[in-house]
Formats: sequence, C-alpha cells, structure tokens
Amino acid sequence: MMASPVSVYNSSVLDAHISSPSRESLKMELLADVTLLPGEERIIDKDIIYICPFNGAIQGKVLITNYRVYFKSSDADVAVTLDVPLGAISRVEKMGGASSRGENSYGLDITCKDMRNLRFALKQEGHSRRDIFELLFKYAFPISHGLPLFAYVTQEKYEENGWSVYRPVEELRRQGLPNNKWRITFINKNYELCDTYPTVLAVPFKSKEEDLRRVASFRSRSRIPVLSWIHRENQAVIARCSQPLVGMSGKRNKDDERYLDLIRDANDTAKLTIYDARPNVNAVANKATGGGYEGDEYHNAELVFLDIQNIHVMRESLKKLKDIVYPTVEESHWLSSLESTHWLEHIKLVLSGAIQVADKVSGGNSVVVHCSDGWDRTAQLTSLAMLMLDSHYRTLKGLQVLIEKEWVSFGHKFASRIGHGDKNHADQDRSPIFVQFMDCVWQMTKQFPTAFEFNERLLLTILDHLYSCRFGTFLYNCESARDHNALRQKTVSLWSLVNSKTDVYLNPFYTPESGRVLYPVASMRHLELWVTYYIRWNPRIQQQQQSPVEQRYLELLALRDEYIKKLEELELSDSSAPPSARLANSGSSANTSSSSASSPTQQQQYTHLHTPF
Amino acid sequence: MEFSEHIKTANVEDVVLQQPLHTSIKGTLCITGHHLLFSDREEESCQQVLLLLRNIDAVEKSSVENLLNYFSLFPNAGHSNRATESSGTIVIKCKDLRVLQLDIPGMEQCLNIAQSIETLSCLNCVAEMYPFFYRPSNASAQDPWGLSTPERHYTEMEELHERWRLSTVNQDYSVCTSYPPAVIVPKAIGDDALKKVAKFRQGGRFPVLCYYHKKNGTVILRGSQPLTGANRKRCLEDELLLQIVIGDSDRGYIIDTRSGQQAQQARMMGGGFESKSCYSNWKRLHRHMERGKTLQESLIKLVEACGDKSPNMDRWLSKLENSKWLSHVQTAMSTAGLLAECVERDGHSVLVHGSEGTDSTLLISTLAQLILDPSCRTLEGFLKLLEREFVQAGHPFQQRCSHSAFSHARIQQECPVFLLLLDCVWQLWRQFPLALGFSEALLLRLATEAYASDYGTFLCNSDMERCALQVKDKTHCLFRALLQPSEREQYTNPLYEPNELAIWPSVHPQSLQLWRGYFLRWTQQTRHLELVQEEIRNMVIEWGKMALSC
Repeated sequence: MMASPVSVYNSSVLDAHISSPSRESLKMELLADVTLLPGEERIIDKDIIYICPFNGAIQGKVLITNYRVYFKSSDADVAVTLDVPLGAISRVEKMGGASSRGENSYGLDITCKDMRNLRFALKQEGHSRRDIFELLFKYAFPISHGLPLFAYVTQEKYEENGWSVYRPVEELRRQGLPNNKWRITFINKNYELCDTYPTVLAVPFKSKEEDLRRVASFRSRSRIPVLSWIHRENQAVIARCSQPLVGMSGKRNKDDERYLDLIRDANDTAKLTIYDARPNVNAVANKATGGGYEGDEYHNAELVFLDIQNIHVMRESLKKLKDIVYPTVEESHWLSSLESTHWLEHIKLVLSGAIQVADKVSGGNSVVVHCSDGWDRTAQLTSLAMLMLDSHYRTLKGLQVLIEKEWVSFGHKFASRIGHGDKNHADQDRSPIFVQFMDCVWQMTKQFPTAFEFNERLLLTILDHLYSCRFGTFLYNCESARDHNALRQKTVSLWSLVNSKTDVYLNPFYTPESGRVLYPVASMRHLELWVTYYIRWNPRIQQQQQSPVEQRYLELLALRDEYIKKLEELELSDSSAPPSARLANSGSSANTSSSSASSPTQQQQYTHLHTPF
Repeated sequence: MEFSEHIKTANVEDVVLQQPLHTSIKGTLCITGHHLLFSDREEESCQQVLLLLRNIDAVEKSSVENLLNYFSLFPNAGHSNRATESSGTIVIKCKDLRVLQLDIPGMEQCLNIAQSIETLSCLNCVAEMYPFFYRPSNASAQDPWGLSTPERHYTEMEELHERWRLSTVNQDYSVCTSYPPAVIVPKAIGDDALKKVAKFRQGGRFPVLCYYHKKNGTVILRGSQPLTGANRKRCLEDELLLQIVIGDSDRGYIIDTRSGQQAQQARMMGGGFESKSCYSNWKRLHRHMERGKTLQESLIKLVEACGDKSPNMDRWLSKLENSKWLSHVQTAMSTAGLLAECVERDGHSVLVHGSEGTDSTLLISTLAQLILDPSCRTLEGFLKLLEREFVQAGHPFQQRCSHSAFSHARIQQECPVFLLLLDCVWQLWRQFPLALGFSEALLLRLATEAYASDYGTFLCNSDMERCALQVKDKTHCLFRALLQPSEREQYTNPLYEPNELAIWPSVHPQSLQLWRGYFLRWTQQTRHLELVQEEIRNMVIEWGKMALSC
C-alpha cells in the first residue's frame, strides 16, 4: 500500500477534543482557573501523563476534587481536557510497579461506568503515585470509606426545586384517580407493608387493607400489584408487582387470586393479561427459590412471557459492547460484532414487550406486569408502555415524572445497580437496566421526531448524572432509604438543574398530539445503535456538526416562539376566527415551556396538559 | 413502431392489486405501450396507479389457484361463473424496489398481461422510450434543455482563464466518444497534442479538468487509464500535459481507483498506469474500489436482505454486513475524502482514474466536489454537478441502469454506481444536516428517475448518443423540471445554512447507516418518518416566513 500524504482517510490521528460531561460548568482555561461547584474542594493536583487511547501519551496536570478528576494537557498543540465526575469511576487500579520497564508503564488505571477507561502514567520514582492513588480511591468510593456522597456536600442553588416535580397524589389525580373503582391507600406510609414501595399506592376500590397485607405475604418482597397507570377512556390499567411465591410445591393464595380478579373486574374485561417479563424457563427455575408465576388457578387471567433476560445477561451484553467500541471501534466486522453483543436484540425485546403491554391496554384490557422482584424489567416495561400511551410523559416535565414514579419511587435499586460510591466493582448486583431504558426512549425519539418535547441532550444529561452523585435523584435503592437519609432535605434534585435551564433540552419540532398512542417499530431493521452515547468518547465519532445543530435548534426554538407569539397576537385581534389545529397545539407547548421559566404553577399545568383519552 | 403487437390483452376487469402501504383494491388493469394503468372502480374513491413499464425489473407469475383467497377478500364478488374459472397472480418487482401483486381472473389473460409486461419493460430501443412521448403541460419544447453547458461553465469560471482553455477538439466526438464536445484543458496544450494523448488513454478519455479549488489554485483532473501495455509504452504529450498541470509545484497525486495489483494486471490487457520513471513528479495512490458485477451483486444481496419477510430477524446485521453494500459506501467516501484532502489540506493537484474512467472515477470526483465546494451544495449547484460530472462526463446510464436488484436476467453491464453515489450523498446529508441545500426527497427522486423516467436526462450512455437521437430536442429535462417552482420547494432543505468550509464526512463503519429511506422505502415505518420529516420541513418553512414578514 502506498503512503498517503494526509491523515484522516488514512486512519491516523485527528485533532481531539474530549468534552466534559458536565457541560453546564463554565469553560476552564487553565487548571488554576477551574471553576469548582459550590462545596467542591481541591484534594490534590499533580503533573501527570494521560495515556490517551486516541492521541497517545499527553503531558499535563491532573486535579482531583471531592467531585471530579480533571485533566488538562500542558501542550497547547494537543488540547485535551478531561472532566470526569468521581461518581463515574467504578474501579481504580495501580498499573505496573516501581521496577516496570517501558515508557509510561507506571501509573493508574481507571475504569469508568460510562463506557470509557482512563490511564495515567507517573514518574517511576519516590512512590509518586501513592498519594494520588489513595486519595482518588478514597474520594471515588466515599461510601466504602465512611464519607458522604458529593450530593450531600454540594452547596448548589437553583431557581427551580426539582423535588416538587413529582407529587404522587397529584399524578394519580391527573390520571383521574381516585374513582369508583380505584382508591388511594396510605397503608404503606411507614413502609410497613412493603419497604421498597412508595407510601402512596393506588389499589382496587373493593380491596380492603387486610387483603393487601395477605396479598403481600404471597408476593416476593411484599411487592403487591398496584396501579401504575389508567386509561382515561376505557379504564384499563397497568398494574405492577413482583412474582408470586409459588415455590416448588405450587402454593396457592386465594387472596392473591381474588385480588388479581378485582383488578380485572375494575373495568369489566373478560380476561386479565399477566405479562411475565422473564423467559419461560427462568420463571420455572425461580420456583426452586420460592418464586414462580401465576398458574391455571388464576381463572380469568392469561399469562404471557416476554423473554427478556435478567440483569446479569444485560450487564455482560453491555460489557461486550464496550469491548467493541472502546477504546477503538471494532471496524473490520462492525455489524457482525455489534450483532454478537446482542445489545440491540435486548433493546428489541424490551421495546416489543412494552408494545404488547401498551397495545393490550389501549384495546381495553387491564394488565399486570412483573418479573422476579418487579424493580428492573418491570420498571422498563411499565414506563415504556406509559410513554407510548400517555403523551404527558413525552413532555420535558412528564419524563421527569415518569422516571420519579416508575423508577425512583417504585424502588429500582439505583444504588445497587450503579454502585454509587462503592468500591466493589465486581458486585453482581450492578447492571445497566436504566441505561437500557434510556436507550429505548432514544429509539422512540428517533422514530417519532416530533412526538417528544425533550431532545437527546436531556437523555445524555440524565445518564451523566445517573453516575455523577452530584444530585440526589438517583441515590439509594428505595423511598424508605431516601427518607431515612433525609435525601430531599439535604441534596439537590437533578430536575432543579434541568428545569432552571430548559431551553437546551427542548426539541424545536415538538408538536403535541395528546390522544395518540405511539407504537415504535421494534424490528431490528429499524433499531440503531445509540452511537452518540456509547461511542461519544471517540474523537472520530464526535460528529463535527453536533454543536452547530444544537445552535440551530436554539435558533429554531426562538423562531418557533416568535411564530407562536405572532399567531396569538393575530388571534387576539381577530378572536372570532377559529384557530387552526397546529396553532392550538403550538400554543399549548409554548405555555409549558414558558411556565417552567417562571414560577412553577403545577396545578395549572396539569389541567393544561390533561390527556383526554 | 407498433407497441400493439406486444399487447394481446389490453384491458382486464376485476383485477385485485396489492401494493405496499395500501389495502388491496379491485379495479381495471390496462396495459399501454409505456404504462401499466390500474384504476379502481369505486366512484367516490377513485384511485389510480400509473406505473412506467420501464420501471419493472422482474415479472413473476404463479398459476396458483387462489380463488379462496379472492373470495374471502371480496365476499360479494360474483359467485356465479367465476368460481369455475382459474385466476393467475403476477408479482411485479420494480426498479424502485416496490413489489406489486396483481390477481387477474382468467389464466389466459393473466399470461398475456405478464407476457406484454415482460416484453415491453425490456425494449431497448431508446428512441421509442417514453421520454420521447412525454409532454408535460407546464413545459414547452422550446425550453432550454439542461442547466448548463461546458462552454457556460468555463465562461463562469473566470479564475480558470489564465491557465486553462476550453478545447473543442471533440466537437464531432471523433476524439472521444464519451466526452462532451467541449472540455477544459491546460492552455499550453494544443488540440493536436490532445489527440495524441487521447490515443494513449482508454476510450480516448484524456485528462480534463473537472474542479478548480479557488482557495489554493489546485485542480482535480479526471481521465481513463493510460494504455502503456505490457511493453510500457509512453506518450510524451501525456507526460507533458500532466507536467504542465502541476507547473512549478513539486508534485501531484494520481488516485487510481484500482488496487496496485489490478493496475499491474491491466497492463496485460493493454491498459496500465503512470509509472514512477515517466511521471516522476506524480505520486500514485491506489484505492481499490469494487465495480461492475461485484457492485451489482452487492445491491442484489442487500435488497434481498431488506425484503426478507421471515419473522426471525436475528441475523439482520450479519446479512447487512454480508451484502458489503455499506463497505462499498465506506470505500467510496474515504477515497473521495482522500481526494479532497490532497487538494485542500495537502495543496496538490490530483488526477483521478480507474480503467474506463466512467464509473468510480466520476463517483469520487463528484463526492470530492461536494465535500470541498459550497457552491455544489445548493439544490441547483448539486443538480449542475450531476449534470456535469455524470451526464455530460459520460457515465453510461443506459447500460448501468437497465436492470436493478430484482431482475432475473444475467448481469451484463448493470452496476449501481449512481445509486451508490446517491447513498454516499445521503450519508453526507445525514452527517451534515445543515450543510446541504437539498432534501432526502431529491435523492430518492433521482434514484428512481435514473432507472425509469418520463424525462430524457438519464437516457443513453453519452453525449454523442444523446445527440444522435436528438434527446435534447425531443425530450424534457429532469433537472429543469425539478427546479420548477411547483417542484422546487419539496426538494430544498429548510435547515440549510451556507457553509464555506469543507465538510469532512466520518467514514467509520459506525458513522455510516443503511439508507432506510431508500432500501426500506416501502415499509410503514419509513413512510411514517417521511411524513414526519415533511411536517418538520413545513414547520421550519412556516417559521421562516413569519420571521421574514416582521
């Protein structure tokens, strides 16, 4: 092969700029000028060599605070900046020893939770890495060292209070509850019925409190079937729970059977559909550990298995994906390598499971969704089905409510799945279930570019702070633990950040259509790898045009708002003229976005966004 | 010429048509010399389908007696005498990848229809093709044909005039049958020398200028391979021409779209390459680009995978990979990127050729211009670029596009080079959503028109052939039609923002995507996305108007 005169199309170096995940912090020109967050403190800084997988060894300075690892190259020609929240770190290891040979063989090897690794090299003399290693280890895993998470240290203040975004009773009211078939119960107000459930639950009107207790005894971790969402018109519901404790002997529980029949009876459907997210064989295997699934004794119910794999399979699948995209992308057999990770196949199964749930419910049939414990796959399925069914959840605030409700309040074990501040990187409880959910949301936004009020940047921001520990939103496994640790009093919500600056998260093309059910296509042919998330650290993938597009988005938003204002003026001057459909739609979207800038008028907003089904 | 001799049955009633994205309809089928016309009998919802027979790639008939099916679809259809008759089914696979099914009552009629379609869709006499009969109401034959001419192009490019001239040495197509009558060459080279160079280049395609980079004065030339042969023949005029091109610059690059080995082998067949010893200031870069049959087979595999109806889609990504289509896209884009880099970043002139210089050569010279030159990125600029670099430059459309992916005929000269170009342009468009002034709809329209068209633009293989058939006098021009006010709006990109910089595409496999808008065009999901994109366009246009009015 002949040598080529130039670089890019001959696969050598591109000028790299690695952008930081916390883009909202100010630009940092020099290490001395790093803008720290209120409450963030400098721990140590040091001359170091960053072994960049794309540009090779780069001299520079590293700064470690109680929130982040920050690196800046000293050579102006190779402008590389790294800004990684400590929360994103899953593992810190020493690389090489004092006697290791070879250049840059002595240093630190850092594995991150967000699809990248970092390597730093130091001089091989005088235990130069000892202090930095120990401090990094300590502050990256504060929980393991008896230190508070950064969310409890930060002094950040925002105009908006994100903790007020989700109020369980208000959300149920928005859905039209309580009514004569469903009631709201506070039986769990002290987390006595179920310690991983929220305090406010919606249950069949005809069920008595003692029924709930008896049902709880027959459901894994007492996670009884409760209402997640109700269809305004046909009154069909999505209920969620954990597996029944059938066990090897095939135990029955009349109360549980009766209770499920009450759910079915609430809107008079002939058959209740129970979606068990697991593959059939796994459900059977669970009997050995006391679990299982609903058998024929549930007379008016049908059981459907959705074939979604467990947390361990998902973790391994994403690990394989990381292997083929970081640091270098497996290029020669890209598509078949991607196929062999099965990541897209899992996405497909989750999406198609949610589609089945949504379809049943919009057809007027109530459904019950569970897996084993009902906090991973179940959360994925209910929240995605709700996203398909209810346009409210497709707004900027609505998505926040959906996450707060189906994930946070119903006890998706964020602390265990992510391992916040915990040094035990090999913990078998860790799994990218929430990432997978966000991927599914992204797939839907791709297929319905005008149906979502938020843009990709919101999804990226949420995922960045899933790990960062800067906000309280994703900390702890359940509400009882959050209450116990005074989370809402002592930390800031991620939604405070988002709602104080909504512009950058809005999709200018959003056109609200309240009544529409969105069914994404879950065929492999129409699914894509979320390249801008999974491969975003690769400078070759960073699409050169990304920032101009964002800029253009903002311009378009301004144009849109101008347009809406003009239309409103026209309307005022000629109020007899019937406004067009689009006009009415755009008008309401303008209200949502502008009201978030002023003081939150929740009540008003809910009535405004009422979803007529 | 009488088409009627091929039409034994012109009209059939009670035919059931099934087409993608529509429910089946029943109506009357009519075959004319150029069209298949289907019209629905229902008065209130009169639906018509008009299909150019030229668009049909394959006809498959099955004599399956699907009466049961037939009556279950239309329970009220006459039970009386039909029940005893058999019916036939014709599956029509189009070059635009649409698949239609016709259920025709009466075996004989069905066979007649199939026969007519098969014959009429394959007629290869250009002068009898539909463009010669097509008379759009909003155009007259006096309208000028085409968007520009080599003469106009040269006149407009004033910066060229100092060192380059317009040569009419090929005025009567005697020097090169596939070049237009006028081409741009170095001023210092006379027509006699050009004639000698032409003899030394395959098909007479001597190096001509196709792009001038204003920023640094470097140029892109294209031609065909030199006919050095096994005994390393030389042509001093050819060497001189290239030397004059680089002038006092220290070197130029030759991008050969064949591998080094292929170029060596070409010598055995009388072809060859520019050797280091004779062209000492030129550095050859070989980039192996697939061509001909390999490319056509790749398209066939891809379309097969896209049409796979089996519910088990497990192996979709592998099938996509095995078709190799995306790797052809990658090669084309990275070779074009290399070409653009030589010019823009390295600051040297480049000569591009493969063997004939009518396929991959044009593909990458076109793409490189799109990467480099902002004036090619507007709707009009892009159409002019295609006119110059594909139509006038002699891409043999007739041969390359006579069949597409469904045909059962043996592959002869067919090759989806133009489709590959459009796919690459779509990748650029996706990566730079603001930088190109035209829409995906334009690319889809061009992809369809190249294979079957009402217009004369893509007829014939060269200017010479078009001239002989008076294509410019007797047919209408597609490019002009696309720029009509009525059409124009749907082909512009409302997000377009002129950008003076080169747009460097990412060519890594994970940056390239299947062009779903084309290859999965007839699926519900793609249709839905098309509608949404249209909605977005309209929104942006609306806002823009409002902004202007205040």
